[in-house]
Amino acid sequence: MGQSMAPIRGEITEIVGGPSSGRTSHLLACLRDVVSRGEPAALVDTEETFDPRSAAEAGIDLRRLLWVRCGSHRDVALRAADMLVRCPGFALVALDLGERVPRLPTTLAFRLKFAVRRTDVALLIVGRQRLTGSSAALAIETLREGIEWTGPGPAPTRLARVRTTTRVLRSHRGAPGWPPSHWWSA
Amino acid sequence: MSRFGCVLVEHFDAAAVERCEPALRERPLAILNPSVDGPKVGREGAPTAKINGAPTASINMIVEANAAAREQTVRPGMTETEARARCPMLVTRPWVEEYAVSARHALLEAALAVSPRIEDGGAGLAYVDTVGLERLIGDPASIGRRLVYQVRAVGLTARVGLAASRTAARMAAANGSGAVTVIPPGRERAMLARVSLAALDLTPDLAATLGGWGVRTLGELAALPREGLAMRLGPAGLRAHDLALGLDRDPFRPWTPPPFWEEAQGLEWEIDSLGVLAGVLETVLERLCRRLGAVALAADALEIRLGLASGGHHARDVSLAYPMSEVKPMLTLLVLDLEAHPPPAAVTRVAISAHPIRTQAGQGGLWQPPAPAPRDLVTVLARLAALVGADNLGSPVLVDSHRSDAFTMLAFSPPSGPESLDRRGRRGGHSPRQDSPALDDPARLPALPQHPTGERPQRLALRRIRPARRAEIETVGEQPVRVDALHVIACAGPWRASGEWWDTRAWARDEWDVVLGDGALCRLARDRLTGHWYLDGFYD
Repeated sequence: MGQSMAPIRGEITEIVGGPSSGRTSHLLACLRDVVSRGEPAALVDTEETFDPRSAAEAGIDLRRLLWVRCGSHRDVALRAADMLVRCPGFALVALDLGERVPRLPTTLAFRLKFAVRRTDVALLIVGRQRLTGSSAALAIETLREGIEWTGPGPAPTRLARVRTTTRVLRSHRGAPGWPPSHWWSA
Repeated sequence: MSRFGCVLVEHFDAAAVERCEPALRERPLAILNPSVDGPKVGREGAPTAKINGAPTASINMIVEANAAAREQTVRPGMTETEARARCPMLVTRPWVEEYAVSARHALLEAALAVSPRIEDGGAGLAYVDTVGLERLIGDPASIGRRLVYQVRAVGLTARVGLAASRTAARMAAANGSGAVTVIPPGRERAMLARVSLAALDLTPDLAATLGGWGVRTLGELAALPREGLAMRLGPAGLRAHDLALGLDRDPFRPWTPPPFWEEAQGLEWEIDSLGVLAGVLETVLERLCRRLGAVALAADALEIRLGLASGGHHARDVSLAYPMSEVKPMLTLLVLDLEAHPPPAAVTRVAISAHPIRTQAGQGGLWQPPAPAPRDLVTVLARLAALVGADNLGSPVLVDSHRSDAFTMLAFSPPSGPESLDRRGRRGGHSPRQDSPALDDPARLPALPQHPTGERPQRLALRRIRPARRAEIETVGEQPVRVDALHVIACAGPWRASGEWWDTRAWARDEWDVVLGDGALCRLARDRLTGHWYLDGFYD
């Protein structure tokens, strides 16, 4: 996958982090890598925070992206994700839970785990906290390391880029192969 | 060489009902005359009439009976009472026009699967032009067996006759000993000679005249002198003579299927539950799909029309994302549509129309990435639409505008082939956030600059707040220093943008990127027309 992390097909991957830590940028990078191969992907957007312009600028072919807006209803988002992971053919189903992560019973987490294994779909869950516990094969935490500003004069007039790092919280397959730090250009 | 085939379904009105209720095939069944109450008359119900305001029971007449009922000497023309006296186990059903029409079309479509030239010969009767089918199917007996098979596929049982003329083929079908009867060329007259005159369906006057002459069989009619018949009976006599000889004088009128194929089901009880209605829908769809499958067609649109107990109708159009002839996905789509748009009253009748089209089989490319099967995709999209609403589902498309959150939604329909986006996306060297046409084509969006270390930076995502939240901002000069209760640690801006100044929807704003005291990196926007500050979203 190159620079950013890659969700594992047939497994659950979680990205957690605080606001402005880079988790959504990681999500877009994963979506871009999938759709650039010509495979369809789905994004279940709980709080309707997805920005199509950011996605297009990140290189995502929006025609291959199914965007499901859930109107801040977390139970609806979980049901939508459950439906999508049972549809074979999607390479990646991303579930963006936003800032308030609901409680997920262990049975439901295992249900999701077995569903993605059966259909070989990569389920990527993005949120403030972890959701699926031991059902996730990979869980990483994103942290912000720095911000760079730019502008013609002494006073910066625009945000240049942000540097983030990742920390592996759980991995079934050993240490990940991507570099921990990433630059994200504004 | 046989030139025509005749497909005959005996006791057709009863067969049409048995097609809708297969459990009745083994039971004695009689069809009652159509009543004033229509198809809502129940199994035991009797239509009533009013004389001088007082309701009186009308007499139900048998219009058709199946073979099991005829074994019990039940015949058309009897009263229901007489028929029940002869056959206590008799099951009766009212005559429903939709059943007969659907079965008639199903029979013709099944014949159409064998030959492109068929003629509608009336209820339960179809003529098939078999010229050229020998090379495709085989000898006439094989063609007959193919016809029987196709008709059975749509839920009917037929007898087939093949001969040089339609009349001879019909006589062979009606009087043959097996399911398929073939009259060899030149043997028509000999085969027809023993057939009763009643098989010709002559007018009562003509039949009475011929009966008075002692003519009982077609052979006897064929032996009469033609000139004498012409003088005494006119054109009707000549036509009867031709038929007795097995000659067709009428032109062949090819039948073309209607643009929509319909199957209907009358209900004996009112249905007010979608779960129960789904069972009826499945039955109707099964019949419809069998008709489609018999001629290798698929439907690309469905129309459902529900008759309501209130007297009205509830109609819905369901366009299918891809042509299909499978019951399960069709049923799922119909049920989901009815869940979203339920009928306003209890349902008493169901009719489903399908627009048939011929599908072209395609094969995926070797390097084509896997994608959801159309059947699975359309089903999951319908379920999601029922869950979140159709407006909240689809692929986003950027609108050609400088407004930062301008987009629209289109139905999700991913292109089939892969495209190299990276190659297109790396052209040019625009700076970030440069005012550029915002189109859906990533090639026209600004490319990312290369970092001095050689590492290619990726795009920072913005998490939008929809709608943008009004914020209380404290400023020094133009610069924000406090957002709500949080100090601003660092900020950059303003980034000025405006648009649609020629319209009533004119907008103008200054955008600031700020780091707040809690570490959040967010985008603020000041509306220059109103002076209000908004929190657009968070960089993440």
